[in-house]
Amino acid sequence: MEILRVTNLTKKFGERTALDNVSFSVEDGEFLSILGPSGCGKTTLLRILIGLLGADSGTVTERGEDITNAPSDKRKMGIVFQNYALFENMTVLKNVEYAMKFRPELKSGARDRARELIDQVGLAEHMNKYPSELSGGQQQRVAIARTLALKPDIILFDEPMSALDVATRLSLRRELKDIQKNSGTTMIYITHDQEEAFAMSDRIMVMGEARIHQLDTPDNILDAPADDYVREFVIDNLKAKIESLAKYMRN
Amino acid sequence: MTNKKSQSRNVFAGSTKLLLCCFFIAAVIIPLIRMLFNLKDADVAGILSSGATVTALINSLAVSLTATIIAIIIAAIAAYCITRCDIKLRGLFSICILLPMLIPSISHGMGYIILFGSNGRLSKLLGLTSGLYGFWGIVIGSVMYAFPVAYLMISDILKYEDSTPYEAAAVLGIPKLRRFTAITFPYMRKPMISVIFATFTMIVTDYGVPLMVGGMYKTLPVIIYEEVIGRQDFAKGSVLGVVLLIPAVAAFLADIFCKGDKRGGAVSRPFTPKKGVLKTIFSHLYLLMISVCVVYPIVSFAELTFSKYYPNDMSFTTAHIESTMRKGAGEYLVNSLIIAFSVAVIGVVISFMCAYLTARVPGRGTSFLHLMSIISLAIPGIVLGLSYVLTFKGTPIYKTLIILIIANTIHFFSSPYLMIYNSMAKLNPNLESVGQTLGIGRFRLIKDVVIPQTKSTLAEMFSYFFVNSMMTISAVAFLAVGDTKPVALLIPQFEALMLLESSAFVSLIILAVNLLMKAFIYMLKHMASKRARVN
Repeated sequence: MEILRVTNLTKKFGERTALDNVSFSVEDGEFLSILGPSGCGKTTLLRILIGLLGADSGTVTERGEDITNAPSDKRKMGIVFQNYALFENMTVLKNVEYAMKFRPELKSGARDRARELIDQVGLAEHMNKYPSELSGGQQQRVAIARTLALKPDIILFDEPMSALDVATRLSLRRELKDIQKNSGTTMIYITHDQEEAFAMSDRIMVMGEARIHQLDTPDNILDAPADDYVREFVIDNLKAKIESLAKYMRN
Repeated sequence: MTNKKSQSRNVFAGSTKLLLCCFFIAAVIIPLIRMLFNLKDADVAGILSSGATVTALINSLAVSLTATIIAIIIAAIAAYCITRCDIKLRGLFSICILLPMLIPSISHGMGYIILFGSNGRLSKLLGLTSGLYGFWGIVIGSVMYAFPVAYLMISDILKYEDSTPYEAAAVLGIPKLRRFTAITFPYMRKPMISVIFATFTMIVTDYGVPLMVGGMYKTLPVIIYEEVIGRQDFAKGSVLGVVLLIPAVAAFLADIFCKGDKRGGAVSRPFTPKKGVLKTIFSHLYLLMISVCVVYPIVSFAELTFSKYYPNDMSFTTAHIESTMRKGAGEYLVNSLIIAFSVAVIGVVISFMCAYLTARVPGRGTSFLHLMSIISLAIPGIVLGLSYVLTFKGTPIYKTLIILIIANTIHFFSSPYLMIYNSMAKLNPNLESVGQTLGIGRFRLIKDVVIPQTKSTLAEMFSYFFVNSMMTISAVAFLAVGDTKPVALLIPQFEALMLLESSAFVSLIILAVNLLMKAFIYMLKHMASKRARVN
């Protein structure tokens, strides 16, 4: 079932075009990666999807309902930023619990739900610590729990792992997939890392210069890249990575 | 942004921005323009070319340049000792050095007179029968007044210098002198220009010290003071006020220019104090000497206050205190407390709002509001006061405490504003976005996240506004009338009546109130950090 549809979305910043007539749709429960180099418009797209930014033209619909102009907090979406953006003056528990207090339907069980979610992301023993006392990976887990707390239908991720080391990334990847499987939440995941996109996604949207070059499953992209851009940016890069690794594995 | 809720958010932020800009235009720009208009009634060429003006201008420059150089050298060595040497009692020494920042400049002038005046203790000791007035008097008094500020700025620069280039240089075998010219000098150059200009402006615009110890050696601010207070000649005062604006504006521009490319090193390691017997001994002796020089005049205030007839009869008495209180010191102290407290509250609220809008809400008007918020750095208090007299004479707020509160809020606005601006700029750039997506309103976010994270800065700002309003004599000198007078203005008044004991007592009162405020803020911050650790 289709959960989100974007039609003819365009956004300009002065002379520069950030999004050029972009259209696509997202399936319910899907893990979709938006893959592209910095400056290709992927963050702009994300900010428009969640309503932090207005589009120049085009529409966004969620389950058939036009949400192009709806406020961010009425979209049933959550977002996780690269730099965590936690509330530094609150403990882990408070961070996760805080936003639920302003939702009548979540208010009563807020504390228990927060504990549950923190436990789920593996931070039960850090419940009463402040963000500054946690590692980057732990902070990102708090940010994820905080977003899950409001039970969003869709979670957007804005390069959530670029500040983390390789080992943390690998474990967080697995956890993210587990969370998705258990909760059935749709996830839209921005990254510039080809390997990450291929490891996690049901489908990948390859972006370059403000437009979509290809939107397909990892297998189909590997089998039939849509154009030279996809071949160079995705396939050649992946190959280079594999070759350099293979050299060491042989030795 | 197109949706309704965020539209209303933005309309609100925009209109607050507009309102604040209007406030600054009314409270800063219009008075300054009004003062410039006043020039047309004045014989500008005549005033500027008169002998008295030229002499005062030369005097001002001579005194301020000399005092600036000496103050910065003393401050730089002190800052180096405190930040880079292995010092015992570091806290005590730095409190001593900063003590002068809690009393009015005019008290420094008076402390100087008590020690070096014609009847002074040290002049008697040194056999100087006529006392050390004039040029050197002003220089020494100004150094006392300005060096702690220079010290504070320089030690900040040294504290945040990165030690890794020095370690690299040491490993590479680069000689010590070259390390200084190649690393220290380029690093210090720009911030030091800011320090030099700030110190110079502070000294050149002050009338407290030269009024007390200058004698016949008159500087520009003293002439303005005499023309306006003594002769009610506002036209001449305005002309000289505009002249005094020049160094302040130059310092302001230099400061902006020098702060432009502040680099934030990603990996910066602080210095560990080096141990060396000679260095340690020297730095202790030096700091001890400075502390004695700073504390001695303050002790002499107490001696003067509590002795029957200083320095000839040192037996204890409270007679001076009683007579000072009979002259109304108590009521004037209440004025000062009302002013200082109001300025602190209003100043913190307005600067918080300005900084929130300039640092966290990008959009039209942001850079204008930022400029308005820091522009008071470029206006000497005495000029601000003068422009207020010209603008607000005849309005209902004239001759009330309100105009004193507004003048002080504007006068001391920029430093606290910059403190909170920097704190807010450091908060996570996505904070507002997170709030928006989680459905947490702007004011909730300010109350629950922004204020708790900046509260120690807010406390510092409160104390800055309060302490400076307690001791200022500059902007308020022209604006205060009989029953709105703040207590600091009693110091020159008593001195003019040869009541040095009363002046000394008033200085002590101001020092005591300011020390209490500092201690209170310190405890508040201490408790807050303790609570954070317990939780």
